[in-house]
Amino acid sequence: MEFDKEKLDCLNAIHVRVGVLSNIEPRLLHNAYSAFHLSNPSYSCVDLHIESLGIKIECEHCGHITDVENYRFLCEKCNIPSKNIIQGEEMLIHKVEFKD
Amino acid sequence: MSVEKSTKTARGTVQCENTNLNLLKANDYVADIIRKKMTESNTLLVNITSSAGSGKTTLMQKTAQRLSKKLNMAVMVGDLETERDAIRIRETGIQALQIVTGGICHIEAQMVHQVLDQFDLDNIDLLFIENVGNLVCPASFDLGEDYRVTLMATTEGDDKPKKYPRMFLTSDMMLVSKSDLLPYLPFSVEAVTKDAREVNHDLEVIQISSLTDEGIEAWCDWLLDKVKHKSASMVQ
Repeated sequence: MEFDKEKLDCLNAIHVRVGVLSNIEPRLLHNAYSAFHLSNPSYSCVDLHIESLGIKIECEHCGHITDVENYRFLCEKCNIPSKNIIQGEEMLIHKVEFKD
Repeated sequence: MSVEKSTKTARGTVQCENTNLNLLKANDYVADIIRKKMTESNTLLVNITSSAGSGKTTLMQKTAQRLSKKLNMAVMVGDLETERDAIRIRETGIQALQIVTGGICHIEAQMVHQVLDQFDLDNIDLLFIENVGNLVCPASFDLGEDYRVTLMATTEGDDKPKKYPRMFLTSDMMLVSKSDLLPYLPFSVEAVTKDAREVNHDLEVIQISSLTDEGIEAWCDWLLDKVKHKSASMVQ
């Protein structure tokens, strides 16, 4: 999706989703965004919202959804290993918000 | 002088197309092109990853010595600077191309795609990508490989699979390297295998030493089997 300059001037906020498995550290991304403002001050009023998502797997056998803890990729209901990750790998621009 | 006012207005909240814009979409697109090329040329592509200094290049040399008479193989090797690893691999008599990433800590699909034309793929059975030594970023980049193999050196400590889970989650094989040093190190092969398989139940594990040759035959047999399997699937 591309925006023209006029639209970019109305930019209010960018919402990003990062999963635990994306290897992105939200705090460092915020720091990098602050550094970006030094050379691009016109974007300093654009907020960056980072939503960090934990890992969820959906069992191929029983369909149960498990929150993965300590990186144990095991269905908590039937104890069968699963790599069917339904959340946690995201590296997404989820939403772009403009001023009213 | 009057300035014409635009009638366009941007208001409210806009959700991107399909809500989410995947920041790795461009990489994955190129990875699929590489995968297709490898299928056309019937070349097995293996991505070798690990921390720096775990023995990837020595393993490439060892593998070349063992397999170069049975297979046509080649290596593309990534590093931030220098051509040293490619020179070491060429000394074994196989083709090796250095990808100098210039400070980038991983290889991306676009880098692989750019250099593929330098290989005569129709006459290569097995092509290795020796990735930049790093257990973090290379895990996120699909390079169009058939298999991802991660070296886990005994000198690194046996706690790495849970510290760098994505790399082990996305690997098909873990080679526990430098096994000749096991008598001198507080490293448990059992513990590292247990942790790695909690992350990835399907992960295959071979213990190797490029110095003593422990596990090298099993590793080469695994490669030969995968090359044979790919050829067989092409015939079908």
